[in-house]
Amino acid sequence: MTAASPTAAPSTASTTAAAAEFIDIRQTFGDFTAVDGLNLTVEQGKITTLLGPSGCGKTTTLRMLAGYTTPTSGTIRIAGEDATRLPPEKRNLGMVFQSYALFPHMTVADNVGFGLKLRRVPVEERRKRVADTLDLVGLGHLAGQRPKKLSGGQQQRVALARAIAIRPSLLLLDEPLSNLDARLRVQMRAEIRRIQAETGLTVVLVTHDQDEALEMSDAMVLMRAGRVMQSGSPAEVFPRPANRFVAEFLGYENFVERDGRLLTVRPEHLEISTGPATEGARLALPATVTRVAYRGVDRHIALTTQGTGDEPVPLIAALRADETGPDPRPGDQVTVVARPDRVVELAG
Amino acid sequence: MKARPIAAALAVLGYVVMLVPILFVVGGAFTAGSTLKFPPEGFSVRWFGEAVANESFSQALTSSLLLAVVSTALALAVGVPVALALHRGHIPGRSLLEGLFLSPLVIPELVIGLALYQQLMIGLKQTSFLALLVGHTVLLMPYAVRVTGASLALADQSLEEAARGLGSSPWHAFRTVTLPLLRPGVMSAGLLGFITSFNNVPLSLLLQSRDFGTLPVTMLDYIQQSYDPVIAAMSTLILAGTVVIAVIAERTVGFTKIFGGIN
Repeated sequence: MTAASPTAAPSTASTTAAAAEFIDIRQTFGDFTAVDGLNLTVEQGKITTLLGPSGCGKTTTLRMLAGYTTPTSGTIRIAGEDATRLPPEKRNLGMVFQSYALFPHMTVADNVGFGLKLRRVPVEERRKRVADTLDLVGLGHLAGQRPKKLSGGQQQRVALARAIAIRPSLLLLDEPLSNLDARLRVQMRAEIRRIQAETGLTVVLVTHDQDEALEMSDAMVLMRAGRVMQSGSPAEVFPRPANRFVAEFLGYENFVERDGRLLTVRPEHLEISTGPATEGARLALPATVTRVAYRGVDRHIALTTQGTGDEPVPLIAALRADETGPDPRPGDQVTVVARPDRVVELAG
Repeated sequence: MKARPIAAALAVLGYVVMLVPILFVVGGAFTAGSTLKFPPEGFSVRWFGEAVANESFSQALTSSLLLAVVSTALALAVGVPVALALHRGHIPGRSLLEGLFLSPLVIPELVIGLALYQQLMIGLKQTSFLALLVGHTVLLMPYAVRVTGASLALADQSLEEAARGLGSSPWHAFRTVTLPLLRPGVMSAGLLGFITSFNNVPLSLLLQSRDFGTLPVTMLDYIQQSYDPVIAAMSTLILAGTVVIAVIAERTVGFTKIFGGIN
């Protein structure tokens, strides 16, 4: 995964590992710029996640890749070929819609076989491939049912099976788990990873859920206002957010300015000391406890510290609830510290 | 459950208002006497025999059925694509266009009828059938556009996109996915259209001729001349025909499904 920042030169080499490439893509709808100078390479056989808040351009990017909308300018390559203006039916991509978009007047098997019929796969082989694909998603027993009779999770699997059955060059998932309840959502993350591993498919996943992105991605691309903010593997991006937007999106909640530099620390990496500053700590801020919230696994301690200006800076420290140690109360004067390797310096 | 005496009373009143007049007509049709009266004097089915044997009635029935079927088909042939364009296309002046196709609902039928009479029958010397066909087709347009549109609004547009993504051409996606989902809406629009055309009086009254009269108008003429039970027998036969159609519709597609497009 190499997603260049919007300012970097577009990659011109179409290497064999690229399943799809976006080169200088811009998409405007009237006055609204949905995608603004996107350069992105989707690598073969991996799960690439487009992550960001609503309106960041992630869904538009996916729809351009699928061919449902044509970019205002720029080039999209699929498997090295220019596909910018290719209609969706000529792209051979499997798409799972947020609403699943199952054909209500067809059985599960007919839904899954729809694309195979269009590809003139002979009846016998078609039947076998439909059965195999349904088995892959664990729904072999529901082949004769209408989609309406199925639960949300089952419908989701049918949509997945329908997209996979055509043996697409790319599998596109648009917020595939957002309509499922929390427990099922976590199950399906692992399930999609398993299916991806078994099939070796290249997957592009759109989500606004950072946990989903972190767990499922080989590569994640954080987007905001039509631009790529940062990209890389979850293990690269999560501990080293490049800017305040990415940091906030990934759950960094403490931002302090020190010597003209913007620093951030995750709540669980802030420690509270009642004594003087620990030796070697990068941050050592005098602070006042404003509120304590018990949350089961941890306690959230809200504090304020003096910033560079007149405004007090709010801080959040998450202490493990079962930890023996300081027991701060509202009004306490404490020192907030963090280990140097926990403090991330942001570009802006 | 809590008893709701007022609601129950209103429901009963509603049934009475709707059903009692029908009862009078049906009862009157079986009279053995020679005037239209309720309660009927004795029991006989001879008025049904006369109604069926009445040549002007059977001719008018054929005319009415022909007119209703053709005008409904025409209204659907125009209205369904219009509904599609209004809901799916990005056309300028959308609401204006929709208003145009719904306007026959508010324009008095006599005005439409008079205009067609002047222009088509007098001006262009066309037959009364053609004038009636145009009139009824215009009259049914709002049903075709509105009812089909309502069922179209329920059909998620991503379904067509999904079909495209799986390899369908736009036309194939429309034919295999959108059209089947549209069917209940088209059926209900067709049924409503047929009934509206079949029952129409004002337009038919203005545009009829000696060669071509619809059943309601012919029956109206008949009542003005002779007030006998034949008319009640004819009404009862129409009622029976409607019930049969309704039962068939319920058995084949289901009423809830046909009218599901509206709600």
